[in-house]
Amino acid sequence: MMAGEMRKSALMAIDEVNNSDEFDFTFTPHLRDPGGVVAAYHTACDDLIREEQVDHIVGCYTSASRKQVIPIVERTERLLWHPARYEGFESSDNVIYVGAAPNHNVVPLVRHMLDQVSSDVFCIGSNYVWTWETNRVIREIVTSAGGRILAERLLELGEIAVDHIVREIIDRKPPAVFNTLVGESSYVFVRALHEAMIRARLTIPMLSCSLCEPELKLIGPAASVGCITSSAYFESIERPENRTFVARWKARHGADSSPSVDGQSTYVCVMLLARAIRRAGSADVGAVRRAAANHRYDSPQGPVWVDPDNNHCFLTPRLARSVLECQFKIFWEADAPERPDPYLSSLDLTAVGTRLERSNDAKTKRSNHLRIVK
Amino acid sequence: MTRPSPFSVRGRRALIVMRDEREISIVRRQLGRLGMTITEHDPAEAPPDEKADVVVIDADSIPIKSDLATARKAGAPIIALIGTETPSRLKWLLDLQPASFLVKPLRSAGLYTALVVAFDSAQRRMDEAAHLERLEDRIRCRRVVFAAVLQIMRAHDLSESDAFRLIRETAMRHRTTIEQLSAEIIAAGGMPNRTSRTA
Repeated sequence: MMAGEMRKSALMAIDEVNNSDEFDFTFTPHLRDPGGVVAAYHTACDDLIREEQVDHIVGCYTSASRKQVIPIVERTERLLWHPARYEGFESSDNVIYVGAAPNHNVVPLVRHMLDQVSSDVFCIGSNYVWTWETNRVIREIVTSAGGRILAERLLELGEIAVDHIVREIIDRKPPAVFNTLVGESSYVFVRALHEAMIRARLTIPMLSCSLCEPELKLIGPAASVGCITSSAYFESIERPENRTFVARWKARHGADSSPSVDGQSTYVCVMLLARAIRRAGSADVGAVRRAAANHRYDSPQGPVWVDPDNNHCFLTPRLARSVLECQFKIFWEADAPERPDPYLSSLDLTAVGTRLERSNDAKTKRSNHLRIVK
Repeated sequence: MTRPSPFSVRGRRALIVMRDEREISIVRRQLGRLGMTITEHDPAEAPPDEKADVVVIDADSIPIKSDLATARKAGAPIIALIGTETPSRLKWLLDLQPASFLVKPLRSAGLYTALVVAFDSAQRRMDEAAHLERLEDRIRCRRVVFAAVLQIMRAHDLSESDAFRLIRETAMRHRTTIEQLSAEIIAAGGMPNRTSRTA
């Protein structure tokens, strides 16, 4: 589903650039759809560069596909504009990373969990690199703040047999569930947990750093409510740039459709590229990379610009709760766009721990009825 | 004691012993992203005095059999950058006991892995060296323990196993090692009369 959302957004941005007087050039899109087959990304990318002579490639949703493309763009000195948030620990000179880095995405959500929800958490995720690394970051922050990882359950990608894990959660009643499942596994799990909680008359807060509005629709109107979610983009952002973006989106794709974080990010990729080409006066990769650096764009999600230190973007982290009608209600956002930190090299665990101490009173009160811990 | 995790490299110091400006700039940028501090050093000069946590050394930039290279062996873990894969060059490289390596030309990808492997293997080497030292200490003390056992056997008319058990249990009560107590037994000519019993 995400690939379709990203393609729709890219084509929308390309049409806007082509129809705009602000740009004295037009884009010609060359579409390739490797269909999520990892090995096909190498071939598709090679074909785009050799046959179509493209300089700039927008795309790749999974890290596995991006890692297929990187050796080719590095060898041929092309640029890959990568829209999706990912787990970090990469910094190629031939990639512009427009999605959230882990400091934009995972860290604010774990902080919020420690401050407001619980310091003990049950983790469930899909068995691949995004979950592995996200769980490592959660574990590091949570344990350094004195909390505990109650369980770490993994499901194979696409697996929809979730009942045993739902049962375990209902039996153990963890104070929070951190969900890093992707795709169908996640939708099935969220629905099953929702139903099981109603039957057991339980409310267990769930956290996610990947759910988006189109996915809430796939989960369904009732089960999708109440998930605490971290993202740089929500459809509900009250900025004029976003209101007009959403209006254009709905005019193009239907009043019932919603842009997603990765779709919006793909739109931002194309716009950053167009603005860098305009500034450089050429589509040359080196010139575009230099022109893109620190060049602020007031995008639907707010100001975005490329940090030339690591080719990732300054973005504004936000936290929201999913509400009725498959929307998110934003309850926190950073004061300003945050510097990307793909290696989490400025993550100060002692500072996260201090934050927790301040909320110790509330925490002790909450857990008093359960047990006394010396 | 909390030991630093090999995964957190922020704040660690790297000594860069390289010549190629393009490759140096890649290392400089990537280590900067990781929050490390960097000292650059010409391969032809003697190693600087200041301490580093890791040395990134271009194996092609130093002539084989150079004293300057061997001088680095004892210090921080070494990440070797390899261009020439000839056995003669690799043999010399093995003498340096590199903790990890990267093949040139460099990319930003790979350096973090090389650092983590280097820090981890350096930590393991230190742990192993400390373990070895403890074992060697105990071997050295064997004669002392033996003498103490004999003394206790004679003084209290005990069997060897009873004498050893007495020494071991006394050592445990005093929160000391068998080797330390044995040395005290020999010095005092019998079981020392400790006042500060802890158990």
